[in-house]
Formats: sequence, structure tokens, C-alpha cells
Amino acid sequence: MTEATNTPLTRAEKRQARRIRRFDNPWRNPKLIWGIGLLLGIILLGIIGRILWNLDLVFTGSATLKLPPVGFENLRRQEGVWDYPLGTDGSGRDILALIIIGAPNSLFVGLLASLIGMSTGIFLGFTAGFVGGRVDDVIRVISDVMITIPPLLILVVFQSSFGDVSLTLMALLIAGFVWQSPTRLIRAQVLSMKQSGYVQMARLSGASTGHIMFREMMPNLVPYLFGSFIANVTTSIVTAVGLEVLGLGPQRIPTLGRTIYEAINAGALIQNLWWWWGIPTLLLAVMFIGLLLINLGLDEVSNPRLRKLS
Amino acid sequence: MLDDVTPKKPVLTMADISIEFPTPRGVVQAVKNLNLTIHKGRRVGFIGESGSGKTTTALSVMQMLAEPGRVSTGTIDLGGTDILALNEEEMRKTRLSRVAYIPQGAMNSLNPIMRIEPQLWDAILAHEPGTPRADLKSRSDAAISSVGLPLHVGQLYPHELSGGMKQRVCIALGIILTPELIIADEPTSALDVVTQRQVMQTLNEIQAKIGSGLILIGHDMGLMAQSVDELAVLKDGELVEHGTVKQIIESPKHPYTQDLISSVPLVGGDSFLNPDKQANAPRRDSTQPLLRFEGVSKKYGAVTALHPMSFTLQGDTPQIISIVGQSGSGKSTMGSIMLGFNPPTTGHVLFEGHDLQRMSGTQSLEFRKNVQAVFQDPYACFNPFYRVNHALKFPFKQFGLSQGDKHTQQAMEEACVAVGLDPDLVLSRYPHQLSGGQRQRLIVARALMLSPKLLIADEPVSMVDASLRASILSNIYDLKDKYGISILYITHDLATAYHVSDYVMVLFKGHVVEAGPPKAVIGDPQHPYTQLLIDSIPWPDLQRAWGHGGANWDPSEQEAQAMKVGAVYRGDVEGFDLVRA
Repeated sequence: MTEATNTPLTRAEKRQARRIRRFDNPWRNPKLIWGIGLLLGIILLGIIGRILWNLDLVFTGSATLKLPPVGFENLRRQEGVWDYPLGTDGSGRDILALIIIGAPNSLFVGLLASLIGMSTGIFLGFTAGFVGGRVDDVIRVISDVMITIPPLLILVVFQSSFGDVSLTLMALLIAGFVWQSPTRLIRAQVLSMKQSGYVQMARLSGASTGHIMFREMMPNLVPYLFGSFIANVTTSIVTAVGLEVLGLGPQRIPTLGRTIYEAINAGALIQNLWWWWGIPTLLLAVMFIGLLLINLGLDEVSNPRLRKLS
Repeated sequence: MLDDVTPKKPVLTMADISIEFPTPRGVVQAVKNLNLTIHKGRRVGFIGESGSGKTTTALSVMQMLAEPGRVSTGTIDLGGTDILALNEEEMRKTRLSRVAYIPQGAMNSLNPIMRIEPQLWDAILAHEPGTPRADLKSRSDAAISSVGLPLHVGQLYPHELSGGMKQRVCIALGIILTPELIIADEPTSALDVVTQRQVMQTLNEIQAKIGSGLILIGHDMGLMAQSVDELAVLKDGELVEHGTVKQIIESPKHPYTQDLISSVPLVGGDSFLNPDKQANAPRRDSTQPLLRFEGVSKKYGAVTALHPMSFTLQGDTPQIISIVGQSGSGKSTMGSIMLGFNPPTTGHVLFEGHDLQRMSGTQSLEFRKNVQAVFQDPYACFNPFYRVNHALKFPFKQFGLSQGDKHTQQAMEEACVAVGLDPDLVLSRYPHQLSGGQRQRLIVARALMLSPKLLIADEPVSMVDASLRASILSNIYDLKDKYGISILYITHDLATAYHVSDYVMVLFKGHVVEAGPPKAVIGDPQHPYTQLLIDSIPWPDLQRAWGHGGANWDPSEQEAQAMKVGAVYRGDVEGFDLVRA
């Protein structure tokens, strides 16, 4: 190839060049930025809400029952009031206060479960890929068996026997079902990287196993780990919400799933109390779209072939 | 210029073609104002380094430029059709039926889950829908037999065929619609010399039979000399020289062409090395031989890659021992056994009297420090995450050679200069910013910095551009000559082995078939297998024709004969004892 020509650019070419510059700096990826923005929005809702809003409104009976959001009427022709801008639920709790506490809680469970699952997966995946032999067989069989077990089934049994659980315990239980796929993914990558030229070079350089694992291989796994982490956060949140909607999980701490469970239980669908179940669902949707966008964005960052020029 | 061309209507006329790629740093001109005419039945070679625009030019004829590349000026005329004016559907119909492309590494372009025959039928049906089955069958049979394959190949899956056979299937696929022009993009780059010669013969025969034009893209002047009529030399997107092969090889005008021709090493020709002085081997504390194989063999399941072999390399005087053979001869297996990456099935490998498989931690570090390697693939040898100096700095510190960061930096810079690299330009770059040649030199610089006693060079130049091979080999040779490092040079290239080595072993299916000093083994081969290898080298010399075996040259007969003849030993050199089987 030759060096670029120095002729002045036309306007169309300049626009093209700007597009290409965006192409050149992969982190300026619109999907990634939007995804991060949506999740930050939920975290900010939690932080700012705690400062500005009266959180005592999450307790039962702290407000009038079944008030609609501002600008709407409920079946009793009651108008929404600014004291409870998103309305109240069937036992007089403020929806805004519920989501200020509940939304970050749901995100927290997802992040924590995924973090624990990933750490386990990294450890087991590296061990299986690197040590090989009997150890590899054992790890592979366990993770393959675990992958076939439907997590919700087991968790329902677990949680019903535990009764009330804390958010952390819930995250731990879910983490027990999200380590398998990172383990398999990392094992496969480690197996192929073990044969690569630079790992052989490192072995020739007298590098220790630890050095090869963490200094040579790990940095190249980062895009995979990120992608897998985000996918796991999504899975963990879905699992957590699934359990909460069934009435399991933490009983005394507001979460989005639990709010939906109570709405369904109280017949909110028939009574047209759409804000009760609708607003938490909307927030969950925002959360999932955010995670999906981050995942797609990271995919494009780590795989330039997916990036579009236009 | 080409007065010996019969004035027929040309198959392809490229007039004033420029191809550009918009990139973040402005528009890159990949091809500049190229003019070229290809006549019916002529074979034209495009030769140049990687990045010279030869593949890009050929792809523009197919309208298959990678995004965002585009033809910015000029016209392409294929037998009266203006290619650039065709729309997508018209172009689809033109591809394969009028211009066929045999891509690089075509062996991977076959669908792994389809038998060969339906893949050939697909090609016909895409252009002539509704062709009756009997017709399809007879045409695919004709195509298969025309490339010299038995008919039952049509019923096989791609994985059941060898590399050379797959390549021929791809040729059959290319010619099944008798196109006016065939473009073959390095069709033999993944094949060894013997298969390369067979495949090129098949391609040339069939092209002559259907009378189409042929563009052969490559970087091997020898292969070009043996297979094309005209040569187009490309450099940085410009056509620097165009003429008949005879004109170009005998009196190249452009200095770049002269470079390309002189960079091909010849057996018996002038050496590209200048062995001015002999360095002494680094002083050794051990009286034991440097490397010793004791009945070493390797089996992979039922396949024996290496039959029991014993030799001793004393290492008191620096030597280069070459191990030569085709792919599958067991030469790379030998290399990885020597490095201790691969335990032998039987026997022992001893380094200064210690068994590689039973070394203590400190012995193992000492072994690593003293036995280094240069691998085939310079692209894979650097961790893409780090700047390239990581690969040099890390082992230097690991082996306790460094006396502080300043000393390390100085050692790195000296090593770079010694292999002809500018340390300021390369050391702080990332691997993808360097060319293959620069990377391979850095690996040589790395070996130099560590000054091991033994270097194992496994095909060190086979993935580097032809024009750089000689200079990288002379860098490696300098390791022996100036720094006293013994080298085991593993290669399939007999011409370079002839020049660099003190002793040559020819491997065939895991056996040593001929061994001795290179002047005897390669200069005057006695074993039928060595003769076969020498015959298969494409020489950049029109007098020394490839085809003296005629069109029906068949290596299998010679191979069968080679199986029967025992090993031939052609003399010894001091310091290296091969135990005769």
C-alpha cells in the first residue's frame, strides 16, 4: 500500500473521513454509549432518588391506596397527585420510592451473581484448559451436567426451603448456575491459545505457568470475558426476577420482581392498576435493552468486522 | 512492447485502472494507473510482494473488491463487455462462466459437508438452471477427469482428499463452465514442492486445452519462470515492468525486478552469504555433547511420525545442521521434541547429559536459556496485547541476563541493529504494525540477545516475502558465524539448505534417507527421494525446465521407488554423528 495522497478533500469525503474516524476509535461506539447510558440512568435513579425522595414511603400504608400517576385517573375517579408522582400500590406504598430502592437492588443481584460466576468460570476454565488430563475431565463433566439442569427448578426448591433470603444469598445461589458457560468458553480459548506462537515463545522464555496464564493469555481474553460477563448479568437478572415474580426471594426488601408479584397477587391486572406492574416492567425492559446494547457494542469493539462504515 | 503476441482479440483489457481504499488517514491508492492486456491462451504472472496490489487488481476484474475499496478510474473490458458497467445480477452471471477465480488456500473453500460432485453441479446450476441430471453428471465427470483425478473423487467429501487433490478440485470447479479468463491467486502457496509441481502442471494443461487466458498471482520468481508466458511486476500498486518471461528473466530492466530474481537462492549458484570469519562456540562448562538423540521416535496413535533416530551434536564448533523434507516427513515433530514441547514415544533426548523429560527446575531454566527457537509463523509469535519489545525484554530478565532497565534497553537496541532493524522505529510498536519480515527479524534479534548455545529454526522464512528471505537467512547465518551459535535448520527448501548448512539430513516419512555434507546430498543427490525433491524445485531459469519429466510427470512412481531404497550416507562432518540405521 502507498501513503495517502495529499489532495484537499471535498465535503462528502470529509463526512466520510469523520465516519471513518469513528470507525477507527472503537470505543466511540453508539450502541455501547447508549447501553451504558441506560444502565447509568438506573443507578443514578437510585442515588439521586435516595437524596431527594422520602424513602419512608415504601412502608405499607404510608399513602392513599391505588392512586394513579400524575395526569391519570383510576377507576374510582381519583386523580394522581404530585406527592406520589408515579402513583401508589394496593397497600399504600409509593411506586417511585419502590423503584428507587428496587431497581438498583435487581441490578445488584445480577452484577454480584455474574461476578461470582465469572470468577469461578475463569478459575475453572484456566485450570481445565491448562492442567488437562483428569482435572479437565472432571471439570468438563461437572459443567456439562450443570448446563443441562434448569436453574429455575432447582432454585425454586432451594428458596422455598430457605424461606426469606438476603440479596447476597440470592446472588450466591444464582451464581451457582452461571459459571458453566464461561468455564467452557475460557477452556476452549485456553486450549487454542496454548498452541499459539506467543505462548510457545513465552514457554521458551522460561515463563512460569502463572505468568503464561495471567500475563500472556488473560489480556487477550478480555473481550470474551466482558461479553460473557454482560450476558451473565442478563441471565442472572432474568433468573432473579423470575423467582421474585413467583413470590420467592427476599421477602422484606423491595425488588422489581417482588413488586410485580404483589401486583399480580392483588389483581392489579383486572383492576386496571397498570402503573403498579407496568412501571417495574418498563424499568426491567430498560435494563435489558441497556445490557443488550452494551453486549452488541462490545461485540463490535472486539470484532472490527462487525463495525459498519456507514 | 510485446511484438511476439499474435494480434487476436484480447480476453482482458485493463486501461488506466486505479483502485483506492478510503481509510481514516485519507484515501490509499492500492493500484495506480495500471494498463494491461491479456490475450487468448496466454498465461500472465502477477508478481510482487504482499501489499503490492496484485490480488486487488485481479479481484477488481471480478468486482469482488473488499469494502470500502473501489475502482476510481479506468475501464476493464472482458472480451467486449465493460465489467464496471455491469449490475450485481449481470456480474453474478459473469463470474465463473466467463471469469473464474481460484482463491488463495483454495483447499479451504470447499464446503466440508458436501460431496465433491454436488459442489460442481451447484456451479453449473447457478448459471444454467434446469440442466438435466445426466448432463450434470457427464460434465462433472469430464471436469474431474480433466484435472487428472479418478472419477470416484466426486463421491468423496473434502476432508477425504489431500491438499493437492482439493486444489485440483478447485481448478475443476473453476474450469467447469470454460471461462475466458482464469485467475489463480497463489494456488500452490500451501502445498509442498512436489505437489506444487503436479498442481501447476494440471492447471497449465487444462488452460491450454480450453484456451482461456490465465492470471497467475504469486511471489515466487521460480514458479513464474516455469509456468507463465508473460510477467507483470507490481510494486506499491504500480506496474513497474511487463514483458515476456524470457525478456524479464534474462534482462530485467527495473531494479526491483532484478532484486526479485537475485533473491531466489540456487543450488550451486553464488552464495548470498559472506562467511568472512568463524566465531568460536561459546565456552561450555560441560564436557557432555550439546544435544544427543538416543533412539528417539514419535508415534501419534497408529501413525509413526518419526522412526527411531540417534545422533550426537557436540557443539564445540558452531554448525548448522539442516533437516529437509516435505510436509509430513516428521521434521517439525523433531523440532518440537528437541525443544521439549513434545515428549518422545521411545528414547531420550539429552541436553548436556540431562534428559529433557526429567529435568529439575533450575536445569530446565538453564536448558531454556541455552536452546532457543525461531518458528515458522512470525505473525503468531508476538502477543497482540503487548508492544513487541515485551518478547525481547521478558526472557532477558527471566534468564537473569539483565543488569537493570538501561542495560536491557541497550541490549535490545544492539540486537535490533545487528539484524538490520532501526530500534527507534520498531521496538515500541505493536505487532500488527510491523510486517512479517520485521517480526521475523525481531525473533532472530531475540535469539541473538539471549545468545543460546543452540537455535532451532523451524521453517524460519517460509512465510516471509521472497525478496526478504535471503536477508533474514543471512541474519540467521550470522548467528553461527559471528556469535558462535549452533543451529538446527528445519526446512523444505533445498536451495537455502544447500547454502547455509554444514550437514544435511533428508527425511522421508520419518526416516533419514540421505545425509551428508550439502555439496554431496543436494548438489549430487543419490537417493531417489532427494532427486525427486530437487526435480520439483521451480528454478527461475528458463534453460533448466521443470518439465523435463514431460507432461505426465508422476511423482508416485519415484516415491514408491524411494520406499525401497535404504538410506544413503554421504560422508561425515566433525562434531556431528548420525548413528546409521
